[in-house]
Amino acid sequence: MPFFVLIFCNLLRQRVRTLLTAFGISLGITTVVALGVVTDSLKSTAQDILQAGGSDFAIGQSGSADLTYSTLTEGQLETVATYSGVEHATGILIAVSRLGSNPYFMTLGLEPSDLPYFQVPLVAGRNLASNAPNEIMLGQEAANQLDKKVGDTVELKDRTFTVVGVYRTGNTWQDGGGMLPLATVQELERKQGLMTLIYVKAKPGTDLEELTTRIETNHPELATLRTLSDYGDVDQGLQLMDAVNLAVSFLAVFIGGIGVMNTMVMSVMERTREFGILRAVGWRSRRVLLMVLGESVLLCLIGAVIGSILAVIFTRLILVFPVVRSFLEPQYTPGVFIRGLVVGIAVALLGALYPAIRAVRLAPIQAIRYE
Amino acid sequence: MNRNRVVIDVQDVVKTYEEGRIHALNGATLQIWEGEFVAITGPSGCGKSTLLHLIAALDRPDSGRIVVNGVDLAQMRDLSLYRSHQVGLVFQLHNLLPTLSASANVQLPMYEAELSFWERRAKAQRLLEAVGLGDRAGTPPTKLSGGERQRVAIARALANDPPILLADEPTGNLDSEAGRMALDLLRSIQQERGVTLVLVSHDLQIAAAAERIVRMLDGRVVDEGAARSVAQEAVEREQ
Repeated sequence: MPFFVLIFCNLLRQRVRTLLTAFGISLGITTVVALGVVTDSLKSTAQDILQAGGSDFAIGQSGSADLTYSTLTEGQLETVATYSGVEHATGILIAVSRLGSNPYFMTLGLEPSDLPYFQVPLVAGRNLASNAPNEIMLGQEAANQLDKKVGDTVELKDRTFTVVGVYRTGNTWQDGGGMLPLATVQELERKQGLMTLIYVKAKPGTDLEELTTRIETNHPELATLRTLSDYGDVDQGLQLMDAVNLAVSFLAVFIGGIGVMNTMVMSVMERTREFGILRAVGWRSRRVLLMVLGESVLLCLIGAVIGSILAVIFTRLILVFPVVRSFLEPQYTPGVFIRGLVVGIAVALLGALYPAIRAVRLAPIQAIRYE
Repeated sequence: MNRNRVVIDVQDVVKTYEEGRIHALNGATLQIWEGEFVAITGPSGCGKSTLLHLIAALDRPDSGRIVVNGVDLAQMRDLSLYRSHQVGLVFQLHNLLPTLSASANVQLPMYEAELSFWERRAKAQRLLEAVGLGDRAGTPPTKLSGGERQRVAIARALANDPPILLADEPTGNLDSEAGRMALDLLRSIQQERGVTLVLVSHDLQIAAAAERIVRMLDGRVVDEGAARSVAQEAVEREQ
């Protein structure tokens, strides 16, 4: 019998206990993986936000705790637009409002004249018209959720808007929301003359590094955003999620480790005589150690697999809520599953260390006589 | 095999338990020659099993020396290697792992012998056939009779072809028929393979199967001689 199979057979002796322990571990792994999936998805959404409309980079208010708190003025938009190397600058006001059953409907206010620059692919209808304050374009996901088509109307903050177009950008946060004239959103949000982000399209051949450095040097109150790490300059949310994820991982290792230790200590105590026999027939302490650790690692790997499957099911299940679907598209990257696996192995080693040492230290003759 | 070579040399061994209150061995001295079949006998508590366990390196003496094949066990670096390759152990209570098959039990000592899985399995099968259980390789010990379990235990003791076989009351838990079969098996293995067989038994009839009987009392070797004469004397004493 291969050594690995022997380890597996040992786990099967107490099937119920093995399954319960694996399930206990899997709950921790589920949390770690699910949080990882959500964090990665939010990062993907953030990446989408930075690259919306085919822009080269975005500009926000430096030091904002949250992206929606970023406040820029029309004057700053005009200043940025005058920089050499800037082909076009589009100001966007992002707001979150209740629309139908969705309390977190994302509205994007932008000048209708900027739409050609912002590259919004229509699947139905037309772009917003100039001087038409009561028109709205819906993302395809939002249109599906609201069951609206071109020509229908929607109620937003006690005002009625006519759907003139349906677009599909491929970005979850845009497709789950709607676009309105900038002036309209400013009026609805009482933020006249203000916007959230400026999207910059640079002239061909422009050194983006030099351009962004120049803007930030001349305007310390502005933060240029090209990468996810830049995103942290205007939104602490992702960093917070990362911190929570790390804390949950440690918690899962600690709590899972105690559970595994309990199981493995019981297993080692019950099998004291068996370890004595194995030592008596010539097993080295290293092999006994490997066997106990192997059982623990295998137990935790089973937990990690169950936990990863549960996490996938859980993250698919939360998509039944339209509000989640409007800003989150689960990203199942290998990294989150590897993290789950690493947590599982850490749980296994932490939990099995003491019982394994105990098994190794048993004197053969005392272990054989153990009843 | 060299009948003139001492393979096990026990020199004035003392072993106590419970902080010296119980003297299991009290200066035991014994020499066993290569290829010999020796029975250690004596009343319950005389120290015969303790002596066997010390020879098997399952425990350490308080004082004295046990030299096996010229090497003092106290100086031996790797006792696991000694236990897996130099000696084969048969216990009174077979000590098989109940969740494993007979074959898997026989394979246990082979994990330290750097054999592949296929080699281990083939060798276990050969050993089980040698003890008459070739057709029970996949059967767990719980579904074997007492005699069959002991034969599996004997096959396990031979797993790494050790030159010394140590049997601690191997028939003590068996009925007379099964006990006789186990004893015959041990004796035939000793003769065919030329191994040194040390058997501990309180039963003189069992011990009489050996070439030499060593009698112990109060932790010391008090008498030894050819099996036939020692057994005869003992029977006469009892009468």
